[in-house]
Amino acid sequence: FASYQVEILDWKTKKQLCFLDKVEPNATIREIRLMFHKLYPRWYPARQSIKLDPKGKSLRDEEILQHLPVGTTATLYFKDLGPQIGWTTVFLIEYTGPLFIYFLFYFRMPFVYGLDERFTSSPHPVVNLACICHSFHYIKRLIETVFVHRFSHGTMPLRNIVKNCLYYWGFAAWLAYYINHPLYTPPSYGKKQINFAVIMFLLCEAGNFSIHVALSDLRRNGSKTRKIPYPTKNPFTWLFFFVSCPNYTYEVGTWISFTIMTQCAPVGLFTLLCFIQMTIWAKDKHCTYLREFKDYPSLRMPIIPFLL
Amino acid sequence: AQGHGAKGDNIYEFQIEFLEPVEPKPVCRVTQRQLNITVQKKESNWWERLTKQEKRPLFLAPDFDRWLDESDAEMELKEKEEEKINKMKIESRVPKDPFKHLKKGYLVMYNLVQFLGFSWIFVNMTVRLFILGKSFYDTFHTIADMMYFCQTLAFMEIMNSLIGLVKSPLIPAVVQVFGRNFILFVVLGSLEEMQSKPVVFFIFYFWSIIELFRYPYYMLSCIGIEWKPLTWLRYTTWIPLYPLGGLAEAVCIIQSIPIFSETGKYSLGLPNPLNVTIQFSFLLQIYLIALFLGVFVNFRHLYKQRKQHLGPKKRKMK
Repeated sequence: FASYQVEILDWKTKKQLCFLDKVEPNATIREIRLMFHKLYPRWYPARQSIKLDPKGKSLRDEEILQHLPVGTTATLYFKDLGPQIGWTTVFLIEYTGPLFIYFLFYFRMPFVYGLDERFTSSPHPVVNLACICHSFHYIKRLIETVFVHRFSHGTMPLRNIVKNCLYYWGFAAWLAYYINHPLYTPPSYGKKQINFAVIMFLLCEAGNFSIHVALSDLRRNGSKTRKIPYPTKNPFTWLFFFVSCPNYTYEVGTWISFTIMTQCAPVGLFTLLCFIQMTIWAKDKHCTYLREFKDYPSLRMPIIPFLL
Repeated sequence: AQGHGAKGDNIYEFQIEFLEPVEPKPVCRVTQRQLNITVQKKESNWWERLTKQEKRPLFLAPDFDRWLDESDAEMELKEKEEEKINKMKIESRVPKDPFKHLKKGYLVMYNLVQFLGFSWIFVNMTVRLFILGKSFYDTFHTIADMMYFCQTLAFMEIMNSLIGLVKSPLIPAVVQVFGRNFILFVVLGSLEEMQSKPVVFFIFYFWSIIELFRYPYYMLSCIGIEWKPLTWLRYTTWIPLYPLGGLAEAVCIIQSIPIFSETGKYSLGLPNPLNVTIQFSFLLQIYLIALFLGVFVNFRHLYKQRKQHLGPKKRKMK
């Protein structure tokens, strides 16, 4: 059978960037990306957006040339996505920051609260508890990033990391400042409030971890197809009966419990912003599920059972 | 299309550029010897020729069953137009909103009251300063009550936009009302020291001049009258006045920041049950940046609006 010819044009200027002769009909887009990369070393495959239509969606790596609606001379369009960074790398940087920044405040580095208060410790046990919980949360996230998560996209644009780090690190510094401050006021309802918060925290963290494990099991053999997640024997996953993205639900729960534990307004604000962001993500995911699967369970809401 | 040709099974395709747009899905019929493709015009009118290029491809021909001469085609078109006009006439006779007059009356009254309020302010300030020679420093003392009244009433503008009584968009109205009332009630109203500063005169003066043109214009447009000079004034006087007003507000905030720092008004210090510190002077600095951005964005929006209203001649009136 005949071999294909592929020409790749710039999506904006329509200038011909390369002409590939004698391409196998069963070549994947991934292979075409590699060939393009050989001609343009600075545009590595993760940075290439190859499309059939200049304004259309990028083609996936797995697509096969002869199954695409092109003739024997295929015209593809290229768009530079800018420098890319791997998701794993991003998460590692994003989560290590808050972990260590919190310690700067917890151990009361001299430049934080002044020389008189340097390296002192707080008389309130809840401050120590808060440090343990905060650190536990981020260590758990780091472990999940390395061992549990399976990402559907390999990379994201480099400027995202600046934006994300500013947000996570900035907020971590702001809330750590007040919790570890010499003039910190412990919660108004004392031990009852703190104990309740700790229990809620542990439950939500366990829930969040269970959901991440369940989601990662759906993609056990490295497949990139989407499947409907279902509740398993683990009681924490039973939230799947009511909600599409229980991991977000549990995450918001964790931060609410941390707010109650520390009774600190900046933590409350962070929780609110997290809630808003996660609701947006959950709604998106929910819509994608509804579109892809005709038999998607109708009882499920995006993030809060029956409500949102 | 898929076909079995001399070279075996293959996929064939070709492209033609028609003179004018056509319906996207042509009807294809395959026979033993040939493939018939019927393409329909998007709009039924006369075409000089079939294709963009001068020469017509030999395999392309008009469907002679539906052929109409140029004159016939025009007649058909005229008949269709007349039908449409008749339909529209019938529709426009349907009775509209029964509360229309009540709503218009309310809007006219609202705009009138605001106009009277701001004229009082403007005239009063002008007379006092230029004729009676009183100083800048007691502007707030004499004018504030009326200004409080007018600006409190201005919340109705948000309500009007919210319930759809007025066609203008909600967000600019909210930004303007809250922005002004923040300066008036919070920055000026709660600080005695700010009230005797000369910048107050300029703020009140600029606000009132802008409103002197805006409210009468709205009032007349509610009734359906357009007075061209007024339209021009309403869409031109903001060009110097709006930035100047913004500048005066900025000066006012800058002057108030040290006072808020010193007195600690609206600020929260540690220790407190919420474990947070709020420095009002810091918030004011952020507000200042937002103010400049807001004026800039709004300026562009108003300029576009001006082009729309004062631009090409319009048969209908806004």
